[in-house]
Amino acid sequence: MTIITSGLFCFIIGILFCVTLMGFKTWMEDRGVKMVWWKWGLTVIWIAIAGFAIAFTGVSIGENEMTAAWMGGLIFGIAVIVSGFIFWRLLHPAKAS
Amino acid sequence: MSTNKTSDQLNRRKFLKVAGAASAAAGGLGIGIWSVESGRDPMTYTGEESYQGAAQYFNRKRFEVNVPPYEKIGPTRRVDARTEVIFSRIGRLRQEWDDEKGIDGLSDDLKAYYGNNPHYLESDLEYHREIIPKWIEDREKYQDNYVLSQAWNNAMGSVWPPGIPDSEPPEIADFPWSAPGQPARKYKMKSPDKTAELIKHMAHQLGSTLVGITKLNPDWVYKHTMRNRGIDVNEPLDVPEHWEYAIVVGTPMAWDPFYANPTYGSSRESYAKTRIASHRLAEFIKALGYAARPHTPAGDYDLMVVPIAIDAGLGEQGRHGVLVTPELGSNIRPAVVTTNIPMKTDKPISFGVEDFCRTCKICADQCPTGAISTEDKEEVRGYWRWQIDISKCHNFWYSNLGNVGCRLCLTSCPYSRKSNWLHRGALKVSANDPTGLSHGVMTELQERFYPAPNVEEYFIPSMGGSNASYRKPPRWLQADEYIDFSGGAK
Repeated sequence: MTIITSGLFCFIIGILFCVTLMGFKTWMEDRGVKMVWWKWGLTVIWIAIAGFAIAFTGVSIGENEMTAAWMGGLIFGIAVIVSGFIFWRLLHPAKAS
Repeated sequence: MSTNKTSDQLNRRKFLKVAGAASAAAGGLGIGIWSVESGRDPMTYTGEESYQGAAQYFNRKRFEVNVPPYEKIGPTRRVDARTEVIFSRIGRLRQEWDDEKGIDGLSDDLKAYYGNNPHYLESDLEYHREIIPKWIEDREKYQDNYVLSQAWNNAMGSVWPPGIPDSEPPEIADFPWSAPGQPARKYKMKSPDKTAELIKHMAHQLGSTLVGITKLNPDWVYKHTMRNRGIDVNEPLDVPEHWEYAIVVGTPMAWDPFYANPTYGSSRESYAKTRIASHRLAEFIKALGYAARPHTPAGDYDLMVVPIAIDAGLGEQGRHGVLVTPELGSNIRPAVVTTNIPMKTDKPISFGVEDFCRTCKICADQCPTGAISTEDKEEVRGYWRWQIDISKCHNFWYSNLGNVGCRLCLTSCPYSRKSNWLHRGALKVSANDPTGLSHGVMTELQERFYPAPNVEEYFIPSMGGSNASYRKPPRWLQADEYIDFSGGAK
């Protein structure tokens, strides 16, 4: 186990995402959007999809499985963009209209 | 005062937004770095770590079943290893075959066997007449490419505990003796539970990655053995009473060369590890005063290992006929220690392999000689199981270069993957999916995301191939990285 695959590294990433969510909440409030429970749910789901896309591509590169890396990156990357677009419209309907 | 407070709040809000954006970027980058590292982390090579207790193991508890995941459908028959085990019959065929006499010139048992299985006679003769000469010819031309792999294979196989002497029957060889004719002291164990705990812990300490315990089903013992080992191969073997329990141990082949099968991988490397572990374990048990006999690779068996491993809860049989475990997939070389030390036995497990293999068929598609059937199971000696054409399989062992063997079915098996979050997660989904829907999706992903060479490419050039391997070999087995071949061998 290296420092990168240790629990400490994951802990630091967890802190970074907490800060990200705080910043996101502030940013949404400035745009006049109040974050309620289901909006938090959508946000967390999107972060999970994006995280999976990055992690799948990365682990495939690490395993030297380049076909899996680019195909996974492409497919899950599209899923990130499409879900991001849909979720954003749900989170911020005023902007969408 | 009020203006300052508003200004502070604005600054704080601005800071949170900037910090949030920066953290998102850093977090995304962190996931990227972590995932690349987790993909190449040597700690994900299950079984290659130093002993680290239960952390690397699959939780079998919820997949335990009371009866093994195979079906007995008729009267059973034990294996006659003299003919049904290819390592025995193919050598005998070479010694006994005479073109003029044909099948009539063979020993009675061999003649009867080939009479009932003419396709095996055809394949086995092809091996001697066509395959071996071509293999020798191509080996001369291309073997330099595999010199490091072969050197490593030989080095790993150089420490090899000797087999059981032909002169010592099981009643002698399996028991501990303090002096000739005088049994060693037998220690009374506290309980079967505690003994099983001790044996498993010791098996790990002695070098085994996986271990399971079962009562020995006599159906799995050869009727006629393939080597003497103190047992006359021409006499039917009465299963000795002291072969009451079977402890199954096993180790994986080194993962990077394993993915570069059939050319760079090595069976012998793992054979040696498993053989050493099983011999050590037998000696440990004997030191407690009980009988113990190792049945180990390569060929020093008096029984079939795979069904015993299934009974012992190590895994299930795959379409390719061999064991699939949750931890190592098909990358396992098992051995058995038969003993009479009373132990608590393990339950067999069912974690979805049968259903997965029914739809997957990747190993059958990747088998260069078509030895693995794409059809359903069949009756074999009274059991409903997958059966391969072992003659076709064995012929390919000498239709590629590198270390003898093939192992492509083991390598291409979707269960044979490193132990990182991605493959562990896929295993959990597959094992817990009662509908089987995920199996089709995973097979599709495996085929598209993890492409393999066309099977024709695996053959030697004189058979129309290009000596391909499933994946590139690790750098440390690439001879041209380290050896100067200019001007030929020195």
